[in-house]
Amino acid sequence: MAVLDTPALECVGVSKSFGRAGSRGGVQALSEVTVTVRAAATGLLGANGAGKSTLMKVALGLTPPDSGTVRVLGIDAAADRDAVRRRVGYMPEHNCLPTEMSAQDMCVHIAQLRGLNRRDARRRTSEVLFAVGLEEERRRAIGTYSLGMRQRAKLAQALVHGPDLVVLDEPTSGLDPAGRREMLSIVRRLSHELGIRVLVSSHVLEDIEQTCDEVVVLRSGRLAAQQPVEPAARVGPVALRVTGDLGAFAGLLNARGVPTYPTQQGDIGIAVGDQTTLTLVRDLAAEQGIGILRLADEGDRLEEAVIDAMSSDRATDGARP
Amino acid sequence: MTSPTRPPAVLYDIRYSRFTGQLRPRVYAVLALARSSALGALGVRRSTGAKIWPFLLVVVAYAPAVVAVGIPLLVPDNDEFTEPLDFVSYYELLALIATPLLAYVATTIPSLLTRDRRDRVLTLYFSTALSAWEYVLGKVIAALLLILLVTLGPLLVLLIGGALVSDSPIDYVGDHAADLPKVVLAGVLLALFHAGWGLAIGSLTPRRVFAVGGYLGVMLVASTLGGAVASISNSDAFLAFVLPIVPIDMTASFLDTPEGNVTAPQGLLWAVWLVVVLGAAAVLWRRYRGGRES
Repeated sequence: MAVLDTPALECVGVSKSFGRAGSRGGVQALSEVTVTVRAAATGLLGANGAGKSTLMKVALGLTPPDSGTVRVLGIDAAADRDAVRRRVGYMPEHNCLPTEMSAQDMCVHIAQLRGLNRRDARRRTSEVLFAVGLEEERRRAIGTYSLGMRQRAKLAQALVHGPDLVVLDEPTSGLDPAGRREMLSIVRRLSHELGIRVLVSSHVLEDIEQTCDEVVVLRSGRLAAQQPVEPAARVGPVALRVTGDLGAFAGLLNARGVPTYPTQQGDIGIAVGDQTTLTLVRDLAAEQGIGILRLADEGDRLEEAVIDAMSSDRATDGARP
Repeated sequence: MTSPTRPPAVLYDIRYSRFTGQLRPRVYAVLALARSSALGALGVRRSTGAKIWPFLLVVVAYAPAVVAVGIPLLVPDNDEFTEPLDFVSYYELLALIATPLLAYVATTIPSLLTRDRRDRVLTLYFSTALSAWEYVLGKVIAALLLILLVTLGPLLVLLIGGALVSDSPIDYVGDHAADLPKVVLAGVLLALFHAGWGLAIGSLTPRRVFAVGGYLGVMLVASTLGGAVASISNSDAFLAFVLPIVPIDMTASFLDTPEGNVTAPQGLLWAVWLVVVLGAAAVLWRRYRGGRES
């Protein structure tokens, strides 16, 4: 996992409520959230209403927190909001594009609002529209765009001033499978090829797994978990299903020093599924002319960890610093 | 043949790269917003249909001044009209464009704000370095420029055109040098009044049709009631409620007016003008003070 020196986001005891918290209609959107985000690409995961968008808006200074401090790229978001916004790009979740403008005019306009002169704004606009795949449609009015194209246009405006950090709120929301795949690929490219820090929110774990190095899980406005997306090499149990006689193959494995046990599904359970063991299984199957039908990680995977965090009765604030 | 020191063609790398240039101060962002908003309200870089109505009204607003400047050229030996101001005075010109001005303001000014709210663009704007107040300032500048285009513009055409068609332009400029600050003041009074009211109404709804209706409705209802009460009571004071002519009648204190011209008392006119402008400022302050996005 790529970990950088200056945290992209540091929150200490951040709380935010809308209306009077606890009263009818009042919502505690964030509650004492303390988290430090250092990874090149971090996913903000949580169910609808978990506080993801609010945390992003607080970080950008769009919504002032009730309490707590927020630092973005090492800059105090409350004291120097201007500096933060110049170094951060933001892609909101909802439709927010001027429908009568073309993507080109919109990006030039936003770039100028972010401090670029007109010449640089036009040059940067060409670059970002090319990067997000909108160069062919750049002169069409945004109102005529498909949802996928609008999402790309929103991403383009977030990148046009060359930000150090880009905050993406549900970038795949409403996209069809092909559009979603393309958007995820672009988001992945931002952090891994273009060197831009990414904070992306989603309620779909698969999106985070494909694009991020780290996941922060929010639940009911509280930090529920924070962990790497790609954990250390697995050594936990695996379930194996092969063609032919399962018992005979299990016996062969035992003879080679690999202890096995029957799983509830009737597969061969292997308690220590490290790389050496898996290589041995592969070689033995090849040697015996047996096909491997299923080799599944039965360990405590990210999905289980996230589901556990999102469904636990008490969200904990004791996440990894 | 190509120069040996210069390649025949250059390949530009248009792939995404990090921007390393210097960012400009926020005042440029405000001016960029004002420019983009004003051009957008006129339909520039929008569909042809979006350009027709505002530009038609601009033409209508300039027509009297252009005609007045043109008459001395077309009829050079006319003793009655030796200069454009003999044909129409500054005050009369403002009175002539009062109606097209209403239509023009209704068309362009409220939509400066309603369009952004309809498309929910404020989230984007406020995520840039632009603050809510700078956003409002940009829109106010855009509104003032748009209205000055059809108020100060025709007055300047009359003033400058008079010099150009005069037999002795230098003498003409000398005789009318004092007119320049007066026409600028007249244009600014009209612009502040209509920009304030148009933006205040526009800030209250994302629906353009409601904003236009609100702007015209208040202007026309107040005018109808004010005119009717003034007529019934035989009191000129009630003319101060004929809102479209309030800023125009204010200019009667420093511009030449036709004989027998009747206006409300100047103090009352200034009071109504101040109420409208300050009231509009209060509405905008209340609407945007928290930097709300919608």
